This record gives sequence, structure tokens and C-alpha cells, in this order.
Amino acid sequence: MDVNDIDKCVKCGLCLTSCPVYYEVCREPVSPRGKVQLIAASKRQNLSISRNLENIFSQCLMCGTCTQNCPSGVRHDMLFMRMRSQIVHDFGRDWKKRVLYHFLSHEHQLKLAAGFAKFGRNTILEKLARDTKLGNIQIKNMPRVNKVPFRQQVPGVVEPAGKPRGTVLYFTGCATNYVYDDIGHAIVKVLTTMGYRVEIPGEQVCCGLPMFSQGGFETAKSNILKNTKLLDRPDDAAVIVDCATCGYALRNGYVDILEELHADPSAARRLSSKVKDISEFIWQHFDELEPFLDPEKPKVKVTYHAPCHLRNSQAVGTDLIEQLLEKIPGVDYIRAADTDSCCGGGGTFFYDHPGTSKKIVDKKIKNATGTGASLWVTGCPECRVNLSGNLKNPESLQVIHPVQLIEQSLKK
Amino acid sequence: MINEEIKSALKKVVGKDRFFDDPEEILSFSYDAFILTSKPDVVIYPETTEEVSNIMKIADRENIPVTCRGSGTNISAASVPVKKGIALCFTKMNRVIEVNTRDRYVIVEPGLINGELQKVLAKEGFFYPPDPGSINVSTIGGNIAQNAGGPRCLKYGVTSDYVLAMEVVLASGKIVRVGSRNVKDVTGYKLSSLFCGSEGTLGIVTEATLRVVPIAESHRTILATYDDLEDTANTVADIIGSGILPAAMELMDKTVINVVADASGMSLPREAAGMLLIEIDGVEEAVEKEMNRIAEKARANGARDVTVAHTQKESDDLWAARRLAYGAFARLAPNCIVEDVTVPVSNVPKMIKATREIADRYNLHLGILAHAGDGNMHPLIAHDPKDKDELRRIEQAAKEIFETGVSLGGTLSGEHGIGLAKAEFLPLVMNQDTLDLMADIKKTLDPKGILNPGKFV
Repeated sequence: MDVNDIDKCVKCGLCLTSCPVYYEVCREPVSPRGKVQLIAASKRQNLSISRNLENIFSQCLMCGTCTQNCPSGVRHDMLFMRMRSQIVHDFGRDWKKRVLYHFLSHEHQLKLAAGFAKFGRNTILEKLARDTKLGNIQIKNMPRVNKVPFRQQVPGVVEPAGKPRGTVLYFTGCATNYVYDDIGHAIVKVLTTMGYRVEIPGEQVCCGLPMFSQGGFETAKSNILKNTKLLDRPDDAAVIVDCATCGYALRNGYVDILEELHADPSAARRLSSKVKDISEFIWQHFDELEPFLDPEKPKVKVTYHAPCHLRNSQAVGTDLIEQLLEKIPGVDYIRAADTDSCCGGGGTFFYDHPGTSKKIVDKKIKNATGTGASLWVTGCPECRVNLSGNLKNPESLQVIHPVQLIEQSLKK
Repeated sequence: MINEEIKSALKKVVGKDRFFDDPEEILSFSYDAFILTSKPDVVIYPETTEEVSNIMKIADRENIPVTCRGSGTNISAASVPVKKGIALCFTKMNRVIEVNTRDRYVIVEPGLINGELQKVLAKEGFFYPPDPGSINVSTIGGNIAQNAGGPRCLKYGVTSDYVLAMEVVLASGKIVRVGSRNVKDVTGYKLSSLFCGSEGTLGIVTEATLRVVPIAESHRTILATYDDLEDTANTVADIIGSGILPAAMELMDKTVINVVADASGMSLPREAAGMLLIEIDGVEEAVEKEMNRIAEKARANGARDVTVAHTQKESDDLWAARRLAYGAFARLAPNCIVEDVTVPVSNVPKMIKATREIADRYNLHLGILAHAGDGNMHPLIAHDPKDKDELRRIEQAAKEIFETGVSLGGTLSGEHGIGLAKAEFLPLVMNQDTLDLMADIKKTLDPKGILNPGKFV
């Protein structure tokens, strides 16, 4: 570990209230500054790795807000991932996460598991566990698993109606493939309507972020290399992602992790420049979409949740998404007071720290409900799981992906 | 050391969820934003006045040092527990108890973050003027302990001008209430002023009644840039000297402009030798008139460019960028020391010139930042704590800066406090009898010396 990275922190403390976890917990050790100082102490051999330290470092959403706002340029995200890696090295990982990461790094087994999960989620749990919770989310509010994985529902290449204006590669991510096929269909529909030939490479695997954000750098490495090889094509086709977290991995995470492992990051760097979030891509090519939008679309009130991995980790700003929303016919956009703050999902955070997570998400829900909107758009499937899973009244405020809103606004 | 018996008595007061003595928690209370560190023995998060009082009764009986802390953003080590003992952290005691804009006051708990109070007040069209650089992080309790200032204190005054009343737990555990809800109140000594700026050495504020004021109908943010730092400083003295009263008037030299531009990503005039960021507020017509007078003065003093922020967002971004200066300066070196010497505004040009000259003589990486309108200078010194020779040069330079400030009618610290950082320089501004008076006050209120011991008194 580069000690200089820690020394950049002058302990000014400006990160404290930008951290959604500190904001709720109000304890210095869990603040970004506190964690950096704990890392510094452990490097100086003044502090040993302990279960308590493990617990403190699990209290991070990996939202990147501290890194984004640090005046001194401290890379909290990398420092915390390295520390998690160190803790896993010393202590091992609990069995539930080991199982999860095993599946995420073995796509064919993940497919099988999704089959079982579908049976479990859609049949058994429905009957038995109506009031049980997974982390902060009631099982009955968990989304249903796709009947068939999305990538098996669509051909590997979908052609547009006329002559294609170009080809794009679509990285579906696990969430769309196994849970939210509605997002996948919307993306294919919108992109082909815009005139693109959409290729959906069948051999893509989990982006790897669930592993490396928890410090599993080596576990994630084979996924990183597989995806990079698959998507870094000589034809320079844009790589479209619908998940803010996958986008963060493909755009910045891969280079960081490969450098961390002293592996060659050049292909990952090339890939990085080709990756586009779907909303960003549509915004940049809006003139290609505009003729197909239905100007007669009736008005609906819409509010937005900015995923941390979009605004912090990919620099796709909230203003860009808001401008896009304002251009879609029928959208009456209303900003919530905390549009730009984390939902509290944070990978497995909602499961590891349900109490804190619940406090964070309830505030988001209160502000979003307060706008009077009936649609809550967000470009991150995990935020969607967490937000919709915690809504008391999911019928009155539906959580969807921005691309679904666009699909609904297309001329019939 | 605190023995197990005392620990369990303390734990009984707040419960096991708000009492900590594990190595991780203790280490996290060994620092603030200053360079010195020292670990407490235990960390306690009280939530009520009674809890604080009961903790103090135990501390008093057992002679245990108690150092209070909010968010720990202090830059004079005032919240570092140098004599160990109990770190009493108020971040969980953070309620707004009452907002009364009709009578223009709020009642809050000490752990409330200043910026959170501003959010609550903004909804009512009001604000609380003290605005330290750490406004979005630091707590009201910490602001009171340090008598915090900030840019707009130029027009509005500092924390002690806004504390109407407070509830204080004394070292003995006794609970006293001083002041009232009235701006005019000469009933006895103005004891709230005694506790303001006492850096936790005299008592523990557990509730504060603060004066709030309506937000002005109009605002303008003006940016004036210069090719010469002296012209920049002269403008400040000229504007204030001519009777104009901006809400805030910040000066930055080239080094500071560049680090702020780097950290914020804003496009600032990087080649300029000096820059003034000026805020005016008031009634629209007056603001318009003042803006023109300020622009005139700036140009007459050699400004090469005077611009006005077009939107509220542009203005907010400029002020947010300004608040990054301290942390951003650390991009230049592993650490940053910020001084706080304050002089009468007419001497700002002389002080800046002298500071520049001292920095060059000691070969320091120094940038000049100042709440220039009230003479509050913040020279920032980027350095590497491992370079012992550099540290020695910084110490000597700091001493010369203090001496120069005092010779120009100034004082050691405008708003950061004395803490540990400047304790040894107190005799520069106070004679022995005055120091003795402070010691006598301390002895009366804290006879055993358990409140934030090891600091300036």
C-alpha cells in the first residue's frame, strides 16, 4: 500500500457530513477521515486487524462521495477496498458472501442458481416468508426473478428497422439478465428505434464489482479480463451499460484493480473510453431519438434518484439526466431535495447494516414522496431494488429506469 | 488511566451503546485538523444534559480530564485530549429544540451541525450569520467553544454576537443557565461571552439559544482580479475605509487561486496575482449602488477585471470553492498549517507584504488567504512533517508573523483559537496580570483543572 495516499489526508474533516453513513451514525471511526486514520495507524503497526476493524470497514456504502468531495485528493475508495482486502486476507470471509462471490464469478452456475432462486423467491418464499426480511427489505417486496434470463430471451444481435447507423454492444449486467428484464427490453427497443444494431455478447460475465469493492481483487480478476477481452473490440463499437455500478466497474474500476494487481491495464483503459451509460448515450444522440417520441404523451410527474456510481464514479452529472428528462414528452419533472444523496443500498450494506440503511433510505423515500411524483427514475438496478423494496406504498410511486420512461414515450 | 470500576460507572450513565474504550474508537479521537495527536482513555457520546452532568460528577470525584468535541475540525488542537481521560463527543446530541422566527431566536443542542441549522432556517427565510469554513461539518457547540467567525462576520459579527443564552454544565456537574431570549439583557454579568471562545476549559455548553436574522432580499457576488497582490490589498483597505460594508470580502493570492481551481474544477483566473471575492447583500437598490461603488474602487486600485456572478449557482459554487482552500492546499505537500493573525483593516496591505517577505526569507511554500475585510489573515503553509528543518523554519516564520501582526495593532488569532498551537505566544498580546486573571477565572470555574487540561490556560 502506498503510504503517501494516506498522508494526503490533512484531517480537515470536510468529508464527515458528505458520508451518508457518518451522517446517520455520527461516530468518527466510521467517517471517511476516521477510516483513513485507522488505515494509517494499522500501516504504522499501531493498530492490529480486528473484528471491530472489520465491522468499521463494512460500514461504507462505497458511494464515492467522500472521494469526489475531498479537497486534498484522497482516494478513499481505493484505500477502503485495499483495507477490506487485507481484512479478508487475515480473517477470511463469511460463508454467505463466499457463496455469493463464487456464483458471480462462475456464470453458468449463476444461471442455475437464478433458476433455483426463481423457484424460491417466486414460490416458496411467497408462501412462507411474507414478513421476513432480507437486510432492510421485506422479502415480499423483493423483485421477482426473470422467468428466463434476459440474454436467453433475445437474439445475440438485434437489427434496427432500416439501415443501421452503427453498432453498439450491450453489457446487460447481472441485474437485468436475472431480475429486471424490463430494462433490457426497453434498451433494445430504444436503441433499435434510434437506428442502432444492438449486439448482446453471450459470453459476458458479472462485472466483478461486487467482489472487488469488498476487497476480492483476485476473485474479480478473471471476470475483469474476460469482459475486457470480449468488449474491447477493434471496431470501436460503444459499450452500453444500464447499471451505474457495472458502468463504474467498466469505466474506472477495471483500470484501478488491474493496476493494483500489477497487471497490464492498457486494454481496460481502451475499453473505458468506449463505455457509455444508456442515459448518457441517449442524451448525446438525442436528435436520433426525438422524431420517434410521442409529443401527445399525457403529463406524468417524475422525480429522480442519482445513483452514486453514476454521479461520483462516472461523472455523469445529475444536471445531464435532468436535462434529458425535461426533454421527454409528458414528463413533468420535480426535483427532490436529496436527489444527489445515496439510497443506502450500497452492495451488501443493506444486508449487513439494515438499521443504518433503513434510516438512509427512509429519508430518500420521504423526500421523493413529498414531490408528489408517481414515477421515480434511477439508472441503477440496485438502487431500484432498495428504493422500491422499502416503499410502503409501491403502487403510488413506481421505481423504473430512465430508459423505460423513454420507451413508454415512443410513438406507438 | 481510568480503572474498570469507574468505566462501569460511566457506562451506566449512557448505556453500553454510547460508551467506547476499544482501540479503534480511541484512536479516532486522538486528532482534530491540527497536527498534534493524543489518545483519550474512553469516548462517551452523551445525549442529554443530565447525562453530561452525571459524567462530570464522576470525573470531578475521580479527577479525570474531560475534553469535549463536536466534529473535530479544529485547527489549533483545542479538541485533542492531551491529558487523556474522557473524550466527550456531542455529535449525537444534535436536536433543534425550537425555531422562533417571530422573536428571532432558535434553541439548539450543541452537536447540531451549523449547516443543518442553516437548512432549517432557510425554509423560514432566516439565517445564522457565523459561517466558519467548516460550516457544513462543524457543530454549534464547537463554534461556541471557539467563538467561530467566517467570511460574513465582516458585516454580521462573530458567534458571541449571536449567543443569547446557554445552558452550561460546570466541572462539578452543576447545571447553570445564563442569558435570556432577549437581545437587550444587562441582568448580571454577560456570562455567555465568558464561555464563548473558552475552548471547553470553563464549562460544557449543553444547549444554546441563538439569535437569527432574516435573509437579505438581494445578493451579489463580485470577483475582482489583479496583476499585483499589493493592489489587491489596497483595494480592501480602500473599500472598508470609505464606509462601504460588504457582507464578506475574501482575498486569495496566486498560489491559493490555483489550488482552489484544481480542487473545485472551477475556471478561476489562474494567472492573476491576487483575487477578491466580495459578497454584498441588502435591499436591491442599495446592493446595486454598493456593487457599482465597489467595482469603481477595485478598478481605481488597478483591478484588471471585475465580474459579477450571474446566477445563484455560480455564486454558490464560488463560495463552495473558497471553503475548499484549506484542504486543497494540502495537495501541494503532505500537510498544511494555517495561521490566523488578525490586524486592523488599514494595515492589511502592510501585513500581507510582511508575510510574503517572511515566507520568502524562510523559503516556505506559503499562500495567502484572508477574510481581508476584517483583517483576518490566513496564511497557509504547505509542508512535509517529516522535514524537521522545514518545521523549524515554519516555527520561526510563524513567530515573526505573530510579532509583525501584534506590532501592527493586531492579535494572535481571529477565529481559530489558541488551543495548543499558539499557547506559547500569548505573552505577546497579554501581560502577566492579564494571564493571571484568566488563570483565576479558570480556577474559580474548574478548581481541579479537569476541563480540557493542557491547553492555553
